[in-house]
Formats: sequence, C-alpha cells, structure tokens
Amino acid sequence: MWESLLEFLVQGIILGGLYALFAVGLTLIFGVLEVINIAHGEFFALGGYLVFAAVVLLGLRPVVGIVAASLGAFAVGLAVYPLLLAPLRRRLGRRPYGALYLVLTLGLSTFMQNGLLAVAGGEYLQVPPHVAGILDLSFTALSYQRILVFVVAMALLAGLFAFLLLHRQGLAVRAVAQNPEAAQAMGINLGRIFSLTIALGVGLAGAGGALIAPQFNVYPAVGLPLTIKAFAITILGGMGNLLGALVASLVVGVTESLAVMVIPSEWQNLIAFAVMVLVLLVRPQGLLGRAVVR
Amino acid sequence: MTTRGTWLGGLAVAAILLPLAVPHPFVLTIATQALIWALLASSWDLLSGYAGQVSFGHAGFFVLGGYTAAITSKSLGLSAWLGVWLGALLAAVVGLAVGFPALRLRGHYLALITLGFAEILRLVAQNWLSLTGGPFGIYGYATFSGLPADPLLRRQALYVVVASLFAMAVIGERTPAGKAFRAIREDELLAATLGIHTTRYKLLAFALSSGFAGLAGTLYAYYVLLVSPTLASPATTALVIGMAVFGGLGTIWGPAAGALLLYGVNEALRFVGVVYNLIVVGLIIMTFVIFVPEGLAGVVRRRPAPRVRRSPPARSTDASRSIGG
Amino acid sequence: MSLVVDDLHAGYGRLEILQGVAVRVDTGEMVGLIGPNGAGKSTLLKTIFGYLRPFGGVIAFGDESLVGLRPDQVLHRGIGFLAQDGGLFADMTVHENLVLGGYSLRTRGDVEQALDQTFTQFPLLRDRRRQRAGSLSGGEQRLLGLARALMVRPRLILLDEPSAALAPRFIDRVYDAIVALNRSGLALLIAEQNVEMILGVARRVYVLDLGQNAFDGSPAELRETERIRRLYLGEVA
Repeated sequence: MWESLLEFLVQGIILGGLYALFAVGLTLIFGVLEVINIAHGEFFALGGYLVFAAVVLLGLRPVVGIVAASLGAFAVGLAVYPLLLAPLRRRLGRRPYGALYLVLTLGLSTFMQNGLLAVAGGEYLQVPPHVAGILDLSFTALSYQRILVFVVAMALLAGLFAFLLLHRQGLAVRAVAQNPEAAQAMGINLGRIFSLTIALGVGLAGAGGALIAPQFNVYPAVGLPLTIKAFAITILGGMGNLLGALVASLVVGVTESLAVMVIPSEWQNLIAFAVMVLVLLVRPQGLLGRAVVR
Repeated sequence: MTTRGTWLGGLAVAAILLPLAVPHPFVLTIATQALIWALLASSWDLLSGYAGQVSFGHAGFFVLGGYTAAITSKSLGLSAWLGVWLGALLAAVVGLAVGFPALRLRGHYLALITLGFAEILRLVAQNWLSLTGGPFGIYGYATFSGLPADPLLRRQALYVVVASLFAMAVIGERTPAGKAFRAIREDELLAATLGIHTTRYKLLAFALSSGFAGLAGTLYAYYVLLVSPTLASPATTALVIGMAVFGGLGTIWGPAAGALLLYGVNEALRFVGVVYNLIVVGLIIMTFVIFVPEGLAGVVRRRPAPRVRRSPPARSTDASRSIGG
Repeated sequence: MSLVVDDLHAGYGRLEILQGVAVRVDTGEMVGLIGPNGAGKSTLLKTIFGYLRPFGGVIAFGDESLVGLRPDQVLHRGIGFLAQDGGLFADMTVHENLVLGGYSLRTRGDVEQALDQTFTQFPLLRDRRRQRAGSLSGGEQRLLGLARALMVRPRLILLDEPSAALAPRFIDRVYDAIVALNRSGLALLIAEQNVEMILGVARRVYVLDLGQNAFDGSPAELRETERIRRLYLGEVA
C-alpha cells in the first residue's frame, strides 16, 4: 500500500515538474504583460514538432534536438509581441481592455494549431525516448526518460529564477512587472522586455514539449489539455506569482496522480478544473496570494 | 437608429428570403447552420460584448441545450417542439447559476471560470456514458414532428432562429435592459451609482445569453441530429468569438452578420481542405482584433469622436480671469 | 542645454488638458510649476517625458525635439523623471532600485561607480541598501527616488510634487538635497502644491491654471502681484 502510494507520489512529482515548465512560463507572461497566452499550448506542440524534425527526420542527437526545439519556440515567441500585441496596444492606448488581448491570443492559438495541422498532418508522430534505460527503485521503476524530463525542467526553472534575480535584464523584467511606468523612467524599453518575456515563457513551453514528446507523442492539439490545466494551476498559485505557479504545479501533479487510486482515470482531468472553479469562487487571488513577479 | 433598423430589417428579410428564393438543399443547409451559429454568436455578444462580461465558455451552454434536446427526445420521447424550449430553459437556468459566482469576478478571472465551466461540461459529456453516450455522443432521435417536406423543415428552423435574433436585438437595443447592459460594460461603478441594479442586470444578461445559446444548441441538435462532446471544445468557443469579433462586438446584429459571412467563408473554404478554413478563422480573429476591433459593424457606422476641451467651471465674475499667459 | 516647451496641447484620450502651454528651463536652472489641482502640472511633466503624446506643440531639449519619443528615449537624452508617488519598486531592495536607476549605463563598472557616488552623497541609503524599498519612511523613499534618478547623471530632472504626502521635516531634507543638486549644476522643473517651499528655492516660477499659462516670473514678482497672490497663494491649504 505504501509502496504504491510512494510510486504514485513520485509519478505525480514528475508530472508536476512538466506542469511547472508550462505554468511558470504562462504566469511569467501574465505577470509582466497582464495577458493570458491562450496559445501557450501551441508552442508546447511546436517544441514537440521541432524535436521530431531534429531527431527523427534529421537524425540529430536528442540533446541537440531538445535545445533546437527550445530555441525555435523562443525565436517564434520573440515575434509575438511586435507583430500582434504591440499593434493592439497602440490602438487601445491606455485603456487596458484585457479581453481583446485574450481574443488575440485565442486567434493565434487557432491559427497555430491549424497551421501545424496543415503543415504536418494530424497523425500522432512518435519520438523515441531521449534516454534509454530504467532506474530500479525498491518501490517502483522509473524510466530515465521520465527522470530526464523532471531534472531538465527543474534546471530550466532554476535558470529562469537565477536570471530574474541576478541578471540585469532579469531585473528589468521584474521591474516592468511591478511598475511599468517607473521602469520606463529607468530607460527600460518596454517593448523589448515584453518580447523577451514572451519568448522566455513560450521557450519553456517548447522545451517541455520537446522533453515529453516521447511520452505524449506529437500532434497539433497535444498542448490543449495542458493549457487549460495550466490556467487552473496559475489561478491556484496566484496569477503573476512564479513561485506560486511552481508549487501549485507540483500540488496538482501529485493530486492528480494520487487521485487515480480513488477515481477512474478519465475523470482525472476534471480535478484541475474543479479545483480552479473552486479557487476562483473562494479565493481568486490563489493560495499564495496575488504577488507580482518579485 | 433608423439606419441600423433598416440594416437589421434588410438582413432579416434577406435571411428569410434566401432559402425560399433558392430552395436548393445545399444552400438551405448552409443557411440554416449559419443562422444557428449567428444565434450563438449574437448570444455570446449579448453577454460579452454588450454587457461586458466576457465569457469563454459559451460552448458549454450550447452543448447543454443540444444534449438536453437529444436526451429528452431520445430517452423520453419528447417532441422536438418541447425539447427546444426545455433545452433553452435549462441553459438559461444554468447560465443564471453560473452568473451568481461570476458576479464577483472580472476580466481574466471571469473568462477563466467560464472556460473551466465549459471544459467540465465537455468532460462530463465525454465520460458519463450512461447519460450522454460518451465520446460518440447521442444520435438516432427524432426531430421536429409534423413537418411537411424537407425544405419546409429548414424554413421552420430559420424562422425560429431569426425570430430569436430579433428578440435579442430588440432587447439589446430598445428596452431599458439594453441600456443598462451598455452602462455596466462602460463603467460598472458609475452605473451602480446611477442607480442601476448591476447585479440584477448582470444576472439577466447571463440568463438571456445562455438561454439563447442553449436554444441554438437545441436547433443544432434537431438539425444535425447528432450531438457529441467536441461541440463543447474550445474550438467552438474560438469560432464563436471569431465570428463576433469579425462582426463587431457589442452590436448583437454584428456578430450575427459576422457569423453568416464567416460560416459562408468556412464552407466555401472547405472545398480547399478541412484544415485551412480554421487557419483563416484564426487569421481573421487576429487581424480584426488589431486593425478593426469594431468589426464589420464598426465599419458600417464609424464616425470619429471629436476632441473634448475641458471647459472652465462656472466661476464668480473675476476680472483676473483675463490674465495673459 | 535648455528645455523649451511652446504652445503645447496635450491630454488624455480625447480630453485636452493643456491648451497651449509654454515653459522654459535653462541650463542649471531651478524652475517651479504651481497652480491649482487639475491645472495640468502633472500632465505637462508627463507629456515632456513622453508618457503622453501631445496633440500639438513644441517640446525641445537643446536643439532636439522630444515629441513622439518614448520615456526611455527621453531618459537617454539626459532628462530624468520622479513620479508623484515616488515610482519606486517597492518589493525590491534599495540596492536593486539603484541598480535599476543605472540600467542604461554602459558597463558594470559604470554602475558600480555610480553606486559608490550615490552612497557617498546619500549615506543613509548605504545603511539601508539591503532593505525593501517599500519599508523605508516617506522621506527616505523620496530621497531614494532622487538618488536613483541621479544614477545616470541627467542634466535635467522633472519632479512631480516631491513634497506630496511628506511630513514637514522630511520635506526639508528632500529640498536640502534638491538645492544642493541644483548648486552642482543640475536643472530642475518642479511641480508643486506646496507653494511656499518652491518659492523659497526656485529661480523662476510658472503658474498654470486650467491648462494655460497664468503667470511667469521670479518668486518675488509673484508675491508682488496682488491678484496672483490672492488667487494662488491664498488657495493653498
């Protein structure tokens, strides 16, 4: 009994790690731009497609494939602000009609997902595990592929936090999140920071998609369940709160995993949404309160 | 107002006459489905564009209506004529229920909770095999009874849809409720201080909007004769929002027109290939939100507002007012 | 390097607040901007700095036009801005705030050097460098804002009501610092509600009312003009 509990716990933590890559990026974008990126899942899918192209089509090493996929998502992400959000912001002026930005990212999501469908087709593409082998623990056996996902996810997130805390541009990102006008008075170019932030956020998603491709397979809508779940996680952790998103990701991952022991797996996905609705009703600012990106 | 009335009238007349003038089954099919989407799009606009409570979960009410219709007809053998109102009513009631907690939420939070609601409904529809038939949905139930030949069936649905559209447009534009909705959208705090029962009207907006969405759902169910969980997918919501943005938020008739046009475009593009039409939809959403946020409706009635000078307050006669700069 | 503003029309959205305002600040000059609430003092400073785009008129610094520039671009031209609420990053430390002040400096060495200078000039900030900016007292926060703006050694600083919401002793400290900075060559355009304070230190003052220039001259001239005194000096609570 304890063994299976432990097993599910570990699986849950690993799942939570993947969720965290996704949700932290989403929260980062929201914290700095006040925009919910509905197209986040499409960048996740893009990462999967890029790693497929790199590893399966071009025969490159998995490491190269994952890096290429992350950079690819990052690069595409750089274009989102100047091409889409900036023109809308110019048009709206000071009025923050947030709903229109949501609609914009919704349009982007539709466009990207169906674009991927058009270009690559709808079949589930397969990617071989990035690392082979299984780690034998007393209570369970973990594939190295799974461990890789978790380790790399945590490393990337640690890198992000370090960047935000120590690097000059990371400081600028936090400044913009806290007080955009004051940040401008410091000589910070808002547009550049916005672009960088989105690129970082979706770059993480792309990395996640590349990492988990062997397990989830690659298809245009692969990011959809994650996107919606990430909304729930973000609400739970407090929108704009990076640490909250990380913690909430792990909590949701573990809860989902443990819940499988009690409820049938098809209903598993319901948990995140039910939790989200509950949180929105009871405490919209999330478990850890609405703290802006520090 | 008169120009708008003429437009609405013209649109309605055209919509009604079209299938009659060209009783080709293909045209009728497209026209009917387009009007169902038009109803759904304008119902979304009533809540999100008009009353300013942006909902990302309208697919949920749509599906609720559709499944109610299908289930009551299949399991209870109820007539479609009854099922239509049952579906709409249930959706309205649920919409009202959703409206209560939504009262406290704004902007992003409201959008997300409605999205969560739609997702929950979709998952329920997908997994509750005994009630909803699971991923394959429900089919094999009877549609509107007592109807003559095929073309007439279409006409009936058309009439119902158009009548509802008008009802909504009327509510939106002419009745005090419409004005209240707009006031709430512009500045809720101000509206409250002006004595508008914002709570009551927001709930009304939810109930009406979801009711009409449910109605659209029942019509869909009785027309297509198949309901499945994918109807509640975010793609449906995306399509609806796209149509509304294209047509012009906050005008009711705009999204309806947008839906008609976009659906026509969608179907035409279907000949090119199933995948491409949604790409175009995505592009249209993005382009219109950025460059033409008022949508087609805005293009129709655009007049730039003049700059306002802040006028000096009425002061007592004081010659010093004339001091030069 | 003079700041010249002429026939400036500006406002928010479609509401025009400034209706043809003219202002001038010469090199190293301390100029005051007073007037009733809503006269447009804040709007003027924000428009000069680029937060608002003017409807029309001239804004020039040296021989370069500032119209249409973003705030970060105006900063690079040598003008700093201190917002009414201080504009601090409250959740960051004093040190981080100052480092951000030096964001546009080219090298790390420049930033370190500027930090050293700042701490010499404002020793109390060195003591508090690890403290959260939001936990400082009102006056210390204002000084931090000033020190932060000075990190890039601007030629002119726009100050929006530096004495707002400060206790009198803090106001004195802040103005002491301002006067010292002016003496070392920094030009300042200071919008103020606290008329007495600004009249005591400024070389010239402008009076704005309802978005238009109502007076321009030295503090002494201002005090002498009976009508002005009655209207504007008498109005101050």
